[in-house]
Amino acid sequence: MKDSYTLKSLAVLLENNKISSKELTSEYLKNIENGKELNCYNTISQEKALNDAKKSDERRKSQNLRSKYDGIPIGIKDLFCTKGVTTTASSKILSNFVPNYESTVTQNCDDAGLISLGKLNCDEFAMGSTNKTSFFGSVKNPWKSLNSDNDLVPGGSSGGSAAAVSGDLCVASLGTDTGGSIRQPASFTGTVGLKPSYGRVSRWGIVAFASSLDQAGPITKTVEDAAILLDIISGHDEKDSTSSVNPKENYYENLNSDIKGMKIGIPKEFRSDKLPASTQKSWDECANLLKTNGAEIVDISLPHTMSALPAYYIIAPAEASSNLARYDGVRYGLRVKGNDLIDMYEKTRSEGFGDEVKRRILIGTYVLSSGYYDAYYIKAQKIRSLIKSDYVEAFKKVDAILTPSTPSTAFEIANEPSDPVQNYLNDIFTVPVNLAGLPGISIPFANDENNLPIGLQLITNSFEEQKLLNVAKNIEETINYSETPEKWWLK
Amino acid sequence: MEFDKKSLLKLGKLARISISDDKLNNLSKDLNSILEFVDQLKEIKTDQVDPTSNSLNQKLEVRDDKVDTKNSAEDILENAPEKEMDFFIVPKVIE
Repeated sequence: MKDSYTLKSLAVLLENNKISSKELTSEYLKNIENGKELNCYNTISQEKALNDAKKSDERRKSQNLRSKYDGIPIGIKDLFCTKGVTTTASSKILSNFVPNYESTVTQNCDDAGLISLGKLNCDEFAMGSTNKTSFFGSVKNPWKSLNSDNDLVPGGSSGGSAAAVSGDLCVASLGTDTGGSIRQPASFTGTVGLKPSYGRVSRWGIVAFASSLDQAGPITKTVEDAAILLDIISGHDEKDSTSSVNPKENYYENLNSDIKGMKIGIPKEFRSDKLPASTQKSWDECANLLKTNGAEIVDISLPHTMSALPAYYIIAPAEASSNLARYDGVRYGLRVKGNDLIDMYEKTRSEGFGDEVKRRILIGTYVLSSGYYDAYYIKAQKIRSLIKSDYVEAFKKVDAILTPSTPSTAFEIANEPSDPVQNYLNDIFTVPVNLAGLPGISIPFANDENNLPIGLQLITNSFEEQKLLNVAKNIEETINYSETPEKWWLK
Repeated sequence: MEFDKKSLLKLGKLARISISDDKLNNLSKDLNSILEFVDQLKEIKTDQVDPTSNSLNQKLEVRDDKVDTKNSAEDILENAPEKEMDFFIVPKVIE
């Protein structure tokens, strides 16, 4: 475990009056100020955060706490609607949008007494794997490659959420994951990123990208913290008809790192000659470690893995083109004047959306249009069935699946490929999990030869978050990964 | 199919996004590259497969028909770019 703060350790410090919420919040606000170069935050809620911290300290004095974690400040991806606080989805089209309602997830955090430090930068409308599509500019990864001063991408779309935790600009954060947007940036920044099962966490009040794939989840420093934050944000919500009625568990309380007798699957389709040797080595080492700790390693096959990414790039844009039809300059957000109504729509959307969002809306419009609907959209949904049934079959044989989180470690911001498809390949290991609706977690395992974090992904069956966290905890306890980035931005 | 200038402009009309001439070339290159990538699915046989639109196997619950007072006109209009009384204002539609 890292020796810096965690949700768990801060709860103890607050309980023993070693620190007040106001002191803690001030400390993080100072870290944010000093870390401005990382560009993690779109909005810093300085005044509100300090005010809320003061209220938390008063609650603590009067023994009227909302939870054990009352008074701990966290960061929120700028995709969650927050009442009275600008919510932009890192897009020009929403750059002036101040919601008058609160998303269920952030409300749950508030109900537990957590304090929001502000809104974290992300790819525009969560579309991207580098954070470069943000209207507010790239986030810089706190990590740097050995012998190079060049800035690295933090991954995306929850790039700000991951970089902020990694660089101590918050102790934990909320992200969203449609095709890997929590796990991929977690992998690039040496943090823990959990995407819950589809339906485990309410999507109400989250700016919609692809509604059948989007899920909110935590990015934290430890597996324990991921369990703590999942306990706080998850559960049924009558405002989201796709939120599960399955009762939630006490993930943190029931954490149990004993994996004796468990079966862990290694899918052969994830193997590739293109995988960096250090990532392959970590993957092998982790399998051996689980074996030593009492699990059985089983070779499995997920035959349709390679079809997941193309299917995703039909389904996600299709849903996005429909969801983003609402941004028309009429009811909220940017309006660009036009000669008539249609001209106003077209100008508003042309100026308000960035290039990647436009590409996806256009592709989505195409695959849903008359004549192409069956050939593309329905075809992709059939592939989705095949992918799902691959996992159904696999989980008859194994308890969890172990894979790399990403096909590479973090790369230079300047080296982002110009071909969109090359960029999409970043999510090749994470996308199938969203299509199948499963929970997945990325945990840091080791650093590569350039001293950059390598993340490994665990996947379990739907609503088996407890098992997922237990296996992750076992690995974390055994390897005791304790690398932290050097804080070059303080110099 | 391939995106050419004509089909791209038609698509822009459908999506209500105006595409300027200087963007057409790059955009058609990008979209053709994406289309080529997703076209690999055509090789997979799916005749006997049902489509999945949502991974959650859950029956949609019917809510109680209760009146509540959320979403007042005032709230809804709060972020409107242009409004008058209880209405959104848009450019004139009918001559």
